[in-house]
Amino acid sequence: MTLTIQLVGVFRSGRFNDAVREYPAATRVREVVDELGIPGPLLGIVLINGIHAGIEDILNDGDTLCLLPFIDGG
Amino acid sequence: MKYFSSDPAAEPASVLYSRCTVDLKNGEMRFEDVPCRNLEDVLGGFGRSFQILAERNISHAYCEENPLIVNTGLLTGSSAMTGMRTYFSGYSPIKASKKGLPAAMWSTGSGNFGAKFKWTGLDELIFEGRSPKPVYALIRESAEGPLVELKPADHLLGLTTHEKMMVLQKEYGSDAHFAAIGQAGEQWQNVYMGAVALSTDNQLKSGEDKMRFAGRGGMGSLMGYKNLLALVARSSDKLKPLTPEVRNVNINVVKGGGSTRLQPISRGGGGGTWAAYDVLQVFNAVPVNNFRPQGNDLPEKLFRERVEKQFDIKSQACFRCGITCHNNIHEKKEDGKSGRFLAKFDYEPLNLLGTNIGIHDAGQAARLIHLSDNYGMDSISLGVTISYLLSYNERHPDKPLLNGATFGDFEKIKELIDQTALGTLPEIGRGSKLLSESTGETSYAYHVKGLELPAYQPETNPGYAWAIAGGHMSMATYGLLTREGKSDMESWVRGITVDKLQIVGFDMIGLCKFFDITKGICTQMVVDCLKSEFNLDVTTEALAAAVRRAFLRGLALELRQGYQKDEYTLPAEVWERPNPNIKLPNITTPDFITELQKRVWEIFEPELEGLLPEA
Ligand code: SF4
Repeated sequence: MTLTIQLVGVFRSGRFNDAVREYPAATRVREVVDELGIPGPLLGIVLINGIHAGIEDILNDGDTLCLLPFIDGG
Repeated sequence: MKYFSSDPAAEPASVLYSRCTVDLKNGEMRFEDVPCRNLEDVLGGFGRSFQILAERNISHAYCEENPLIVNTGLLTGSSAMTGMRTYFSGYSPIKASKKGLPAAMWSTGSGNFGAKFKWTGLDELIFEGRSPKPVYALIRESAEGPLVELKPADHLLGLTTHEKMMVLQKEYGSDAHFAAIGQAGEQWQNVYMGAVALSTDNQLKSGEDKMRFAGRGGMGSLMGYKNLLALVARSSDKLKPLTPEVRNVNINVVKGGGSTRLQPISRGGGGGTWAAYDVLQVFNAVPVNNFRPQGNDLPEKLFRERVEKQFDIKSQACFRCGITCHNNIHEKKEDGKSGRFLAKFDYEPLNLLGTNIGIHDAGQAARLIHLSDNYGMDSISLGVTISYLLSYNERHPDKPLLNGATFGDFEKIKELIDQTALGTLPEIGRGSKLLSESTGETSYAYHVKGLELPAYQPETNPGYAWAIAGGHMSMATYGLLTREGKSDMESWVRGITVDKLQIVGFDMIGLCKFFDITKGICTQMVVDCLKSEFNLDVTTEALAAAVRRAFLRGLALELRQGYQKDEYTLPAEVWERPNPNIKLPNITTPDFITELQKRVWEIFEPELEGLLPEA
């Protein structure tokens, strides 16, 4: 299936800003995160098609997955 | 501190803290070992100072009866990572109820002053009254215990925060650290947002003005009112050898994940609080032009990736802290090497003295932050009061106020900051609440209960209403919608009344919130530190209960100072002119706020009984 992956902030460094990529059907968010080598503690927000989602959510063909770092205030 | 029990929750009176009370009027001093009343007293910080403030009836911040309480937390000066906090508490000149009574307030910062203060042997220093002449206080260790002396400070008058510290450093050498106000605090009559600067090792070694700040609530102005220009804490270093238990905790703080996002990007971290720019921009929720995001890419001009092309960004830390959360901006020389230090880029000052006042040039933002720090002003209150003025002038082009500054007009904004700090612009110096009341246009003054909002859109955080000492440091709901995606009533009621208030625990115990921001202080890590450092047995449940009581005491004190329930709300522009650009569910409709107020007070109100001494 085809996914649009958008990365925000520090996640772009050494990767990309956004990219259209192919994944097997029923891929979970976690598998994309692992594949991209994004460290778990840095991952703050997962958006699927602009809606907050979870790391174990299953992605569908045509989805846009946006991965954002954590924010801490201060 | 003296410990005669290992169970401070059950036997708080068996723990004594060392207090000095100084009457600034006549120089009299009283030293005593004070038995703790409860676990809040043992933990320290505002947990203790608010109980002292609650014993006083204060109707004006600038009165002799309003004390300035300087204290530390239990873990300040310990070998636990980030244990460097100092707290300044008193009734605030800037935060006041509509009835006109000042609110109790604390403010805190890191740097090395707190540890040095603690190592003199003192846990708390209360300044009563007002000195007839400018003085500074020297706190030092001696064979007989801690000593405090008041010294003439005429030579410090008119100097910036950093300059005062440099003068004092020459006198007191490398064993001393400093807390100082700038010109703004000296102009307390017309500046209610004075901050207290705290020296760092980095600053004293390099001579560069890399200070930390206890900024919120005008504690620097209260210090100025008292004619107390600086504090010097002089002591040998007394860090205990690191025990295996505390070493494990420290490794966990740095490597366990909780603080990773604050750490330098070069170490695989998130690069500090500045990263909030990138994240909030995805939702069009970076404050722009007085909290009115426009749905465009203007905020991106201050993204780190843009700024680092032009400037050198150094990741630095308070002494011994492995989190290394400071982002210090230096000029980049032609050969690529680092040049002059310009300013620190933490998220709040950068946004509120940058994007939110229409300044999108990193060099200009750095200049304004630098000015605010050196004059000794709270960059949050200053930035938000200026953004109110700019917004007013945009709405009234034919009759602008003051120098007619508009968004992005660097020169005129700089002029406003200069004049405010030097006491000639009380319109700005006294904060956005009074300024907006004078114009009659209060709906777009971005304060809650008289204290200006930090750089998180109120549309994303109705929890601001219950913050007791500034929006983000005393109610951690700023990420509940943005980060966690919670837009339902149950999550917000629980967030405000149970989980997110726990953030204030850090402002008792002496640690930075970055020690473990999501979990607070009620963790095994803190329990292990208390056992290892002081042989104290405290449970996470007892810690949580003490933090909750301290928070609720703060709320009870607000009510006693005249706050009405309808003041627990947000700036009205949020629902009068909903911002269509913000890409998040709308949780600040009048209906949502009304229901939230009802539900939150139903939970808090019964618990407020008996927390304050009888009037
Ligand atoms: S977390 Fe940051 S402010 Fe706190 S002690 Fe460490 S370097 Fe200093």
